[in-house]
Amino acid sequence: MDECTRTALVQRTLALAGKSGLEVLVTSQQSALTRFTHNAIHQNVDASDATIRVRAILGKQTGVATTNRTDDVGLREVVTQAQRLANFAPPSGVEPALVGPQSPSPVAAASTTPVDAERRASVARAIFDVAEEHGAWAAGYVTTSASGLTLANTAGLQASFDATDSGANVKMNGVAATGFAERYSIDAALLDGRSLGERAAEKVRAGGTPTAVDPGAWTVIFEPAAFGELIAHLTDHFSAQTYIEGSSFLTGVLGTRVFGENVTIRDDYTHALNPGQSFDYEGTPTPPLALIERGVAQSIVTDSHYARQLHCANTGHALPAPNAYGPQAMHVVVEGGEKSTQQLIAETKRGILVTRLWYVRTVDKRATIVTGMTRDGTLLIEHGRITGGVRNMRFNQSIAELMRDCELSSEQQRTGGYAYSLVVPALKVPRFTFTSATAF
Amino acid sequence: MEYSGLAARALDTAVARGATYADIRFEETRAERIEIRSGAVVTLSDTRSDGHGIRAFVEGAWGFAASPDRSDAALDATAARAVAIARAGAAIATHRFAIEPTGRHTAVYATPVDRDPDTIAIGDRIALLVEAERALHSATSIAVGRAWIDLWHAEKFFFSTTGSNIVQTIRQSGSGLWALAVADGDAQDRTYPGDIGFYQGGGWEVIERAHLLDNAARIGEEAHQLLSAPQCPSATTDLILGSSQVSLQIHESCGHAAELDRIMGWEENFSGTSFLRVEDVGSLQYGSERVNIVIDNLLPHGMATAAFDDEGTPCGSSDVIRNGLLAGFESSHDTAAAIGAASSACVRAQSWEHVPMIRMCNLNLLPGDRPFDALFADVSDGVYMESNRSWSIDDHRLNFQFGCEIAWEVKNGKRGRLLKNPTYAGVTPQFWKSCDAIADADSWVAWGTPNCGKGEPMQTGRTTQAASPARFRNVEVGVGYDG
Repeated sequence: MDECTRTALVQRTLALAGKSGLEVLVTSQQSALTRFTHNAIHQNVDASDATIRVRAILGKQTGVATTNRTDDVGLREVVTQAQRLANFAPPSGVEPALVGPQSPSPVAAASTTPVDAERRASVARAIFDVAEEHGAWAAGYVTTSASGLTLANTAGLQASFDATDSGANVKMNGVAATGFAERYSIDAALLDGRSLGERAAEKVRAGGTPTAVDPGAWTVIFEPAAFGELIAHLTDHFSAQTYIEGSSFLTGVLGTRVFGENVTIRDDYTHALNPGQSFDYEGTPTPPLALIERGVAQSIVTDSHYARQLHCANTGHALPAPNAYGPQAMHVVVEGGEKSTQQLIAETKRGILVTRLWYVRTVDKRATIVTGMTRDGTLLIEHGRITGGVRNMRFNQSIAELMRDCELSSEQQRTGGYAYSLVVPALKVPRFTFTSATAF
Repeated sequence: MEYSGLAARALDTAVARGATYADIRFEETRAERIEIRSGAVVTLSDTRSDGHGIRAFVEGAWGFAASPDRSDAALDATAARAVAIARAGAAIATHRFAIEPTGRHTAVYATPVDRDPDTIAIGDRIALLVEAERALHSATSIAVGRAWIDLWHAEKFFFSTTGSNIVQTIRQSGSGLWALAVADGDAQDRTYPGDIGFYQGGGWEVIERAHLLDNAARIGEEAHQLLSAPQCPSATTDLILGSSQVSLQIHESCGHAAELDRIMGWEENFSGTSFLRVEDVGSLQYGSERVNIVIDNLLPHGMATAAFDDEGTPCGSSDVIRNGLLAGFESSHDTAAAIGAASSACVRAQSWEHVPMIRMCNLNLLPGDRPFDALFADVSDGVYMESNRSWSIDDHRLNFQFGCEIAWEVKNGKRGRLLKNPTYAGVTPQFWKSCDAIADADSWVAWGTPNCGKGEPMQTGRTTQAASPARFRNVEVGVGYDG
């Protein structure tokens, strides 16, 4: 659905506002994903949808209704239902304010590369070719999407954003070892199946026949996919909601040094590896923001509600209404360091290189302790060289502690899970706690 | 809405384009949610979504396409897209993953509902939550209270080229409480009835069954008490788990391990594989003889209870673990056929725009033979844990570490002092083999999980693991706090 169509939908919906304040968010998405295992495609999907989300404001009362019906009846029903819910809502302490007109901002992060099932299959085929050359088999996916949103309200705001995205990930399976590689880009033309397959296959070759090592404290280098899993568990700590409520490790320590002086973390939608929209879901601009600056806790992210509550600036990090999660940093970037990942490995006398983590979960939120497993490329480093694979291990570790004494690689990479998309370098830490081992 | 004409058009188009089998699933869904957080209504929403998804089978490969548009042109385009996608996969296939379904069924089913949520005024729903959330603040350290209700309604219409015509109305409801106590740099939370609330198939009676108001003050007080409770010690000891934690234990260490698509490598790159092999059926000792785990997709109050799954297979029951031995798997038409078995009808899709795939459905640990209190009787030194707080298991479903919100010492058969930050760890079959007692049917609860993640694109599944409290001997507890 293009911007003109979305804008027309928004205007038809706003025209039904009557005496209530109304905020209308139209989102559209077409996404396709080709999934493969054992060097063949076993799932192939393509879905499209468009939704109209209406937030009705009656004084201090708010209601939200959503539909994917775009005809007149559907629009009338969704407005009526949002207003009806608002009528039932107990009044909040303060009347929610709608954001007024904003200055023009970037309207797209999109490529024009055409994508279809054949293109996705060709990327997959290139991965299969590499797998077969190495006597291995690949599992993974190739995905492409095009999405757009238009946000408008009865206070005169109107903002739109269009995006394309693509990604591929590969788990390469050898006789005894496995390897992993991923790539994401707004331009599907940059997805190179052969290159991805070779990176994953190299992990399998390096892993050989993994051997057991003792759990305990190890020097560990996390590649971006693994480090990203850890950082994803910190992002909620930057929310004004957890900060105020006391479950964030930043509660009470803003302005003080919490990480090593070499650590800078920003929220930055302009980063070339992970461009995004320049405004939040209330329409407030989201300028790049330093969260951690040279180790010092600099900022938390807010929306209109929490900015008012904290008497501070609105940083523009509202999620779509209704939002029980509070404001969130959606474009986290960890700045890189001076040395390449290869240098970090070369300077390691004995340690472990972790390619990927799995099932990372919070054990103690306030203490930032998480547990999880290594997977798909856990390699032993001895005297500056990778000397073989080790069996996977479970860890229990405070992330904040790690970041107080660490090195960061110079290369950054976009990494993603189903709930996040981040830009991070590799991370080296002198002491990381593995607590148990597996037989594989 | 009458969909048979629209279905016929789409399926004819798919066949004309080259599909040797196709099915179409129309869905009309509605989700209502209310959430109170620290006295304010943070969510009061009503979400409706209508659309259709078409599966087409071409030359041994599947294609799936979905659209909200019901026009003739859109139905044709969606069917054509599903066929084209399937053909793109078939063109580079070195082997087939699938065979055409052959079943033909005509049926109408509806979730039994005692009390239609539509008869409960929205104002009354809000008032219940406001009162319950207020009661959570029973101690000064309670920084946040949350109370919520979810009401879900789906109308599903399934048609296939083999002649199936299945209409199902699925109703599910849930509610819950959460209290966060904060003091002196520590934060402790408690939830009720379970860590994700209490979700079952049915209507407003499910909300009433949760008894939120009767328990809110206690939950707040327990969160407060945890702040000053001693840390759960590190030890190898006897462990008693409350029924909601046993439900989580089944879910993570049995339910996902026994999904046949994982075993065949279909989830290899993401959700992972399984330590189980097809040939382990009948020989692998999964647990002690007391452990019986069954698929029951007709279970009263089950979140996955239906007459048919989302590829048109009739639901029923079957064994996964019988007297401790591995007995079967959760399967689909394709995966079951590959091992010469019948589908266990465990295929579900999150919505009309998601492809149906194997999901853990209702997977239950059968109750044991003694009252809950009797689990404590012959424990001289152990720990009793309730309500999940943290869960992690490796991608083979073997090495796990789970944490709970609250625990009590068990000394000489009695529940003793409160312990905070309790965790335990183990390896799946060894852990289940250490199960030496399961409480009886009086404490058996159908715990629904509304947010099980699996697949790419990620899908959220709704599943139930009914369970009673259970006892496990010589378990490692108190892990994870040295890091």
